Amino acid sequence: MDSILKVFQRPDFLAQLVVHIELSVIALLIGITVAMPVALLVYRSRLWSAVAINTGNIGRAVPSLAILALVFPLLGFGFAPSLVALTLLAIPPILINASTGLRQVNPQIIDAARGMGLSNGQVLGHIQLPIAAPVIFAGIRTSAVQVVASATLATFIGGGGLGELIVLGFQRNELAIQLGGSLAVAILAIITEVGFGLLERAFTPKGLLVTSNHRSK
Amino acid sequence: MIEFRGVSKTYPGSLHPVVNDLSFEILDGEICVLVGPSGCGKTTSMRMINRLIEPSEGEILIDGEPNTAMSGTKLRRHIGYAIQQIGLFPHRTIADNIATVPQLLDWDKIRIERRVDELLQLVGLDPAQYRGRYPAELSGGQQQRVGVARAMAADPPIMLMDEPFGAVDPITRNRLQDEFLRIQEEINKTIVFVTHDIDEAIKMGDKLAILKEGGVLAQYDTPEKILAAPNSEFVSSFVGADRVLKRLSLLRVSDMELDSTNGDGDDLPRISERTNLKDALSELIGAGAERGVVVSNGDGARGTLSIETIRRLSHQAEAEQRYE
Repeated sequence: MDSILKVFQRPDFLAQLVVHIELSVIALLIGITVAMPVALLVYRSRLWSAVAINTGNIGRAVPSLAILALVFPLLGFGFAPSLVALTLLAIPPILINASTGLRQVNPQIIDAARGMGLSNGQVLGHIQLPIAAPVIFAGIRTSAVQVVASATLATFIGGGGLGELIVLGFQRNELAIQLGGSLAVAILAIITEVGFGLLERAFTPKGLLVTSNHRSK
Repeated sequence: MIEFRGVSKTYPGSLHPVVNDLSFEILDGEICVLVGPSGCGKTTSMRMINRLIEPSEGEILIDGEPNTAMSGTKLRRHIGYAIQQIGLFPHRTIADNIATVPQLLDWDKIRIERRVDELLQLVGLDPAQYRGRYPAELSGGQQQRVGVARAMAADPPIMLMDEPFGAVDPITRNRLQDEFLRIQEEINKTIVFVTHDIDEAIKMGDKLAILKEGGVLAQYDTPEKILAAPNSEFVSSFVGADRVLKRLSLLRVSDMELDSTNGDGDDLPRISERTNLKDALSELIGAGAERGVVVSNGDGARGTLSIETIRRLSHQAEAEQRYE
């Protein structure tokens, strides 16, 4: 146990932790920036949202390591290629949830909103996005956790991050370093999961949380 | 006044119009019910008034101005819109739901709050208890009341209502209809009301526009006239075989010329002058009497009403029937 704690005090631990978080945060932000506009473009059309959702599903089915392996021959070695790979991983869950969430908003609610004179932008901003918010945030959470976990693999194409420690532990056959690195990744992933869970709750409008306590009469 | 002038709607890629050359006028302060079987274009016709749907031909004038004179969004903020209960915004409180249009029109906060409370009161929901709740916490009937209040929020002169009482049980529905008629007596709006239910149409409408398949206006008149003299087989069968009884339900005993009492009223059934003729007839038949004593609100006997009088009235109306 002591030896693991010592790993956390290594100078390269903090450096790799920062790289790991940097990779994850930037990948997630770019992922959101790409996935949300695409979702907004496709959700109105049944065909295009099916295309987006299925592409997303294929994207999710490809293992993280495979994506890294694919990026390497195309873009080479280092932080930027790792970032590209992680961004590719970040996009599908957000895209899928955002387009599904927006499509699930009851059309009669949208009709009522338009009928009362909300402009298209207002319908989207005041009605559709708030109602779809919980589903969209669930997608961002899934994506964030996946990115944090997969960033561990960035080390194989020279992206750095906590994976470096695990690989180092293997190379030197030092169990403590391996475990220290793995533990740090696990804790980071859990913090991400819990943190985004709280965000998801905060962004869920209160009216969507109340359950009906009346039978319709 | 709302005026349809040769309005047709054909959707792209379709050969048949859903609304076909519709021309009629809806007068201020009247409830005009668009009624007909499904596929008759009644909802489409209504939605062309506030331009949720644009006509392919013809135009709709509101107070003499084409409804295309301003942008669709602006137009819609000045026309009330109520649909089945599901149209409430689930993420907004009842107060915010009702405040939707006033907020779009930039009313100040205090004015909005006052208006919301006033409307909740009008539709029979205690403001203190309901303004902070969410739609999911309300029953179906309560949600429909909120839907109607929301449509009235900015006090629009015209209201469009698409089966606003459609999603509740018959008893609640009946009560909501009565409440709404009472409210309309106060607010006196021009209302376009869509329903597929002829009984609801007869009850709610000052005028009925009966549409048939293909969006053709079959007959446009008061419920009394339509029931007394349907102008075609279609209208006659749409209003139903019991149209004579339906017509009786529109007339009140107090509207009738009564026979004198002749002092022999003691053993006759008593009928309140506020009941409708259909119920009066039912009471007379039920009591096995030929005549009944009509009493006014207090206790005074106003005269007698006989089954024969009702029969004559209905027969006359039948004889006036003009089609074929």
